[in-house]
Amino acid sequence: MGITSSIHVGPYEIFYPLKPSVSSVQQFGQHNLPGRLFVVEGIDGSGKSTQLSLLHKWLEARGYGVVFSEWNSSPLVKDTTKLGKKKKLLTPATFSLVHATDFADRTEHSILPFLKAGAIVLCDRYIYTAFARDAARGMDGDWVRDLYGFAVKPTAAFYFRVPLETAIGRLVGARDGFKYYEAGLDLGLTGDAEDSFRLFQGRILEEYEKMIPEFGLTVIDATMPVEAQQAQVRQIVQSHLVNAKELRIQQ
Amino acid sequence: MRQTYGKQLPGMRLTDLPGKLVVIEGTDGAGRSTQINLLKPWLEELGHAVLDTGMTRSRLAGDGIRRAKERNNLGRVTQSLFYATDFIDRLEKEIVPALRAGFIVLTDRYIYSLMARAIVRGMDPSWIRSIFSVALKPDAVFYLRIGIEQLLPRVVFSRGFDYWESGMDLFPGQDIYEGFCSYQATLLAEFDRLAAEYKFEIVDASADAEAVCAHLKKKILQIIEPVPVEEPAAKLPNFFGESLADKIFANLRREYEKAQIHAEDPLPMTPQPEHVPLARANGSRF
Repeated sequence: MGITSSIHVGPYEIFYPLKPSVSSVQQFGQHNLPGRLFVVEGIDGSGKSTQLSLLHKWLEARGYGVVFSEWNSSPLVKDTTKLGKKKKLLTPATFSLVHATDFADRTEHSILPFLKAGAIVLCDRYIYTAFARDAARGMDGDWVRDLYGFAVKPTAAFYFRVPLETAIGRLVGARDGFKYYEAGLDLGLTGDAEDSFRLFQGRILEEYEKMIPEFGLTVIDATMPVEAQQAQVRQIVQSHLVNAKELRIQQ
Repeated sequence: MRQTYGKQLPGMRLTDLPGKLVVIEGTDGAGRSTQINLLKPWLEELGHAVLDTGMTRSRLAGDGIRRAKERNNLGRVTQSLFYATDFIDRLEKEIVPALRAGFIVLTDRYIYSLMARAIVRGMDPSWIRSIFSVALKPDAVFYLRIGIEQLLPRVVFSRGFDYWESGMDLFPGQDIYEGFCSYQATLLAEFDRLAAEYKFEIVDASADAEAVCAHLKKKILQIIEPVPVEEPAAKLPNFFGESLADKIFANLRREYEKAQIHAEDPLPMTPQPEHVPLARANGSRF
């Protein structure tokens, strides 16, 4: 059981097929899907969202049908996640499950159908975020990988690697500072939000490093200038669009 | 020490859980909640603290699941995971704390219903088993088994057909009666497989509720340690005064004896005949 039992389907791999006769995922697997799936990963403050947004604009300008899906954004599940966070009801296990449920809804409604339709799907955070955060909260790594067994493997997954202090420097004073769960304050490592963020995100960085070889993540040096990072990303994405001409929107 | 089905959740200590976990399983309409409503006051009368819990009752995900089901665009993977979220929240926040405090936990359905529902919706059995590998192994699982033919009148003449319990998400376009029969038969077949695998205590739920209850009481008495009725004075601190303590324990002893007498009549456990819809359910779709 596990990732090694994956089957290869065109540019995608499905970690495990669900039961053949009924599963939409399996039906998807039987087709040679025309879409492409690109995801960005990295800790808060790594600049991944900026890079994805630049990629999005570039792809659209070139006439591709692009769909964007963000971590933790399912309309069916977000109220539950919000309740759990607001009332601090979440344990490491339910934190993990509620995010997996959110991801399942987006896979079933926002990712798979668009890949079938031939779109380029861009995801800001993907299963690797869950693997890193849940492991940092003490969840069993194999259990979490099994949990996300229904996920579609991305065409390419970019990991924006940045030293912790650089990320903290970008976050301090920006947006809304350090949030409870993002800073790992639920773990009670320390009462201070910035210290807790440092400890927790440090654990997450270690998990990302382990996943680079495990999942073949494409590492981008996120300390480089924004333009240089984007040039690398576009070059790699370009190489996956060779047979994707039919995706162009006629304008 | 308690056991799980393989994996342990972070922060969940498996020692010092002196309570008992009693699961009532069965398809819709088998009479699970009726039985729990009879068993809970009976156990309390015997002096046991009881927690009753069941699907979609978690603080975290109960409302979310209900809202999602109203929208009719709840996917199958999402549905399975939403229920798992609800279950784990109750496991961590209700079931384990109650077991630690020495309660008898009566749960209306457990992981088996969730697995059966996911499997008939096409989820990989090894996937769903892996998710629930963190669940505690119960002290007893009573499977209230009822065939489609006995089930039908109960459903038709009480609450009518429910969209989800008729598997209308699985058999769209079918007549709701046909959907109900196909879905319940498929579930029943899956339950029977799980019953063998997890060694459920099978209870014929087509008998009347009191006979089923008497049988359950007898079985439950076998797994719970009786409230100390011997030498009460030695076990109870003296500040109540001995006479009061004696009265309490004499009363409890009487209730116990009464319950055991009631539970004497054995319930005939005849296996249910397989019904026609099962054969159809084993056809091309599954």
